[in-house]
Amino acid sequence: MSTNPRVSSAIEGESPHFASVLAHQPAIAERFGALYGAFWDSDVLSARLKEVARMRNARITQCGFCRNVRFDKAVAQGLGEEVVAEIDEGYEASARLSDTEKAILKFTDAIIHDPELLTGADRAALQKHLSPDQIAELGLGVTLFLALAKALITMGLEPERMERSVLPTPSRAMAG
Amino acid sequence: MSAGGVSGPVAAALSGTPDLGAKYEAFRDAAHEALGAQLVAHVRHAVAEVHGVASTAPHGEAPAATIAYARRMPFEHTAITDEEAAAVVAEIGEVRFVALSVVAALADAECRAGMVDLEALVDGA
Repeated sequence: MSTNPRVSSAIEGESPHFASVLAHQPAIAERFGALYGAFWDSDVLSARLKEVARMRNARITQCGFCRNVRFDKAVAQGLGEEVVAEIDEGYEASARLSDTEKAILKFTDAIIHDPELLTGADRAALQKHLSPDQIAELGLGVTLFLALAKALITMGLEPERMERSVLPTPSRAMAG
Repeated sequence: MSAGGVSGPVAAALSGTPDLGAKYEAFRDAAHEALGAQLVAHVRHAVAEVHGVASTAPHGEAPAATIAYARRMPFEHTAITDEEAAAVVAEIGEVRFVALSVVAALADAECRAGMVDLEALVDGA
């Protein structure tokens, strides 16, 4: 995987990173910001549950940037490092992850890795733990996490090194 | 409404949450408009083919390196080389390369959402 940026920054004085590269396409950037902000603002599905899916996506897609970012709203809802560490192989046996979180991880794996992984029992478990609106929001989240990670990687925007960072959760207010 | 009138499985699953659904379609439309309808059709077809999802082949020719890049998105996104990416930039330019990366990645994610039948999950089926 390359860490050489394949696109220049569109913002003078800034190095290439996701926002400065996306600035080449202002309409995409603006609408992505509005969508991602509204998604994280919504509490239909809690930030903690969204972050569980985002962390799983980061591990499977090998997105180093995604893997090292934590959103503060999820941290405030109890998603500490001891829980994040268990969003890994063998998560099914975790005592720290709830049944709802395990159902979300199964669904995330099925989308990102292999749709055959989502058995009839897994579908039923997801529908037991989440309402239809929550499943829709989760589906949107996994779609965006996956697409964002792959776009970032294929444009060569992976950082060579990055410390773990807790960042403000995206919001409509941040999108402007 | 999206380009081509097809909103995809994610937008369909969001029919009960119209604010998010409208924002998703607006984002998707912006990416499609930036790349151009003809190339979007070729890219989405290429990605669908890799997934084994039925898709009608669009008319006309598409730039070869660009389609090869799109075909790598589903299962080989970490293996795309700097040289392959540079060939795409030479074909369509840096600004459209940004749109291409978003469109191809979204096409891949939408295929995957369709393959788990996200809409049926939301409908309780």
